Amino acid sequence: MTAVIIFGFSLFYFLSSWHLKLGTAKNPGPGFIPVVIGSLLLLCTAFYLRRVFGTKFSERKTGDIAAEGGKNYRAIYGILACTTAYPFILEILKFLVSTLTVASVMLVLLKPQRPVFSFFLALGMAVASFLIFSRLLGVALPSGFLEELLFRIGR
Amino acid sequence: MVEIGQSLLSGFASALKPIYLYYALLGTILGTITGVLPGLGPLGAMAILLSFTLTMDATGAMILFAGIYYGAMYGGSTTSILLNIPGEAASVVTCIDGYKMAQKGRAGAALTVSAVGSFIAGTISILGLTVVALFLADIALRFGPPEFFAIGVCGLILLVRLTGGSILQAFIMIFLGMALATVGVDFLTGIERFTYGIRELGQGIDFLPVAMGIFGIAEVLTTVEQKEFIQRVQKVKLRELLPTRREWKRSFPPMFRGSFLGFLIGLVPGPSPVIATFASYISEKRISKNPGEFGNGAIEGVAGPEAANNAAVGGAYVPLFALGIPFTPAMAVVLGALMLHGLTPGPNLIKVKPDLFWAVIASMYIGNFMLVILNLPLVNVFVSILKVPKNILLPVIVLICLIGVYSVNASPLDLLVLAVFGFIGYTLRGVGFHPAPLILAMVIGPMLETSLRQSLNITGGNLSGVILRPICLTLYIIASLTFIVPLVLKVIKRSRPAKPSRQDEETILPP
Repeated sequence: MTAVIIFGFSLFYFLSSWHLKLGTAKNPGPGFIPVVIGSLLLLCTAFYLRRVFGTKFSERKTGDIAAEGGKNYRAIYGILACTTAYPFILEILKFLVSTLTVASVMLVLLKPQRPVFSFFLALGMAVASFLIFSRLLGVALPSGFLEELLFRIGR
Repeated sequence: MVEIGQSLLSGFASALKPIYLYYALLGTILGTITGVLPGLGPLGAMAILLSFTLTMDATGAMILFAGIYYGAMYGGSTTSILLNIPGEAASVVTCIDGYKMAQKGRAGAALTVSAVGSFIAGTISILGLTVVALFLADIALRFGPPEFFAIGVCGLILLVRLTGGSILQAFIMIFLGMALATVGVDFLTGIERFTYGIRELGQGIDFLPVAMGIFGIAEVLTTVEQKEFIQRVQKVKLRELLPTRREWKRSFPPMFRGSFLGFLIGLVPGPSPVIATFASYISEKRISKNPGEFGNGAIEGVAGPEAANNAAVGGAYVPLFALGIPFTPAMAVVLGALMLHGLTPGPNLIKVKPDLFWAVIASMYIGNFMLVILNLPLVNVFVSILKVPKNILLPVIVLICLIGVYSVNASPLDLLVLAVFGFIGYTLRGVGFHPAPLILAMVIGPMLETSLRQSLNITGGNLSGVILRPICLTLYIIASLTFIVPLVLKVIKRSRPAKPSRQDEETILPP
């Protein structure tokens, strides 16, 4: 699957690079290097695709599949989802609530047995990170009522 | 020589300012912590902290990163010796004899030898860095775009050869990195490339979220897969730290040999600290009168590799300071930090910003000294960091990455790039790709493109004029030989009947 995606990206990049001006050998245009990179990338990924599909299904050991079954996919994809969702909720919920939400979810995903403890730990993380980043390092974080209150208390 | 001494003194005057001492201390502590924690290496730590360097000046940022790099090498050896867990790749070799020494009750001696060896190696490599970087920068001032293109290409090819793993996969990573570097406005013509109408992409894909995603978030996701690393930590008493006279006598020659070997290997592209430790271990075993002791707690097996990995750090700084070209992924992050501060690394940097160069050199001495002073008495404190459960540590790292990236441009797009590259980095690792060449190519990519286009302009489109210049040709021959020689050796080996091999050496060779 990964090989196919990389190949797809290479093909897309290669075709897109042809829309740019190539220029001449003496005066290369903005598309010159992208075309060279695109060609080489396409060539390499084509070889890789051939290698993967030539050996993958015949040589893949059952042990590998069994090992994959033991991975904590819930936590992995959960953390990824949190990271992806963070930019979207940050501006709406502001820093403290969005950080608390994301941190709580991650903590629960990694240790589901103690949700209340996770919530308070996440709260501590959110407050501490706000104080460190906003007060100590002077980073401008999206702020609402809660942040301003905390900023005043912390002063 | 007098001039170097004076410059170094002025560097010390600068590095001894309280704020720089604070950065050096912070760097060494953070570095030691990242070295102790398995999974999070100096590269990840530097990538995660890249955004924080914006609150400092360039000198402060460089001092912090140097401290992290050196500290990680020290920290990695601590867990290798006490717990048989290499904190990072460059400490794998130390596990072999270091842990055996610990089992025999000589953990304190191994730790002291490792710390003193690292200090000696650090000092030697800094001396080497000072001399070689100045010399190389002087020569590099005469280089034109074709030479810089050749150095960049040669560096990337050597990296592919020395990183290990699949060559095809490494090349894919390099071309992907270079492709990412072409996104944004073309600096020579002002034409937008691959932006697809997204205004924010006009400035190109920022290096910071990509590096933090690939090394920070992806590292977290990979660690989630692994088992909990809480171990029963062996306590080391202060009075046990002193090695015997015989142990000292056996340790000093490997320390010096490892230092020189490590520094030389550090000059070569690739994961130099890792290669240096393996090379030092093998050479010490070959030289030793009692090779049978290796693997059973030989102190030379700790002293040599530990000196070598620290010396390689100093060596790795040479191409960055002298040529402006990073040969290791960690140096690519250091380069990224310099660029974030509006500095263009290259041979002119030492001339234009001598205060920065000399302050960093001086702070490396100070940092090394701090590490010896701090790490031995606080060894139990650092090892106890391993007791922090990963279900708390990992969300903290993710939050640092998220807030760190946001703090640079206050851009949600950067956060999205972080998430996307976290996923990409994790997926690529899962199918056996090393993401390091991607980052390196992304950093070197714009330099390669500029120098090739300028070279073609200068030579009137004559490619032979770009390749056949003496320095360029030499570099291309070296790069080609790294591919041809192993192939030839393979053919020769196949044609000869197999000889009994030294099994012990083969078992410790890097994959």
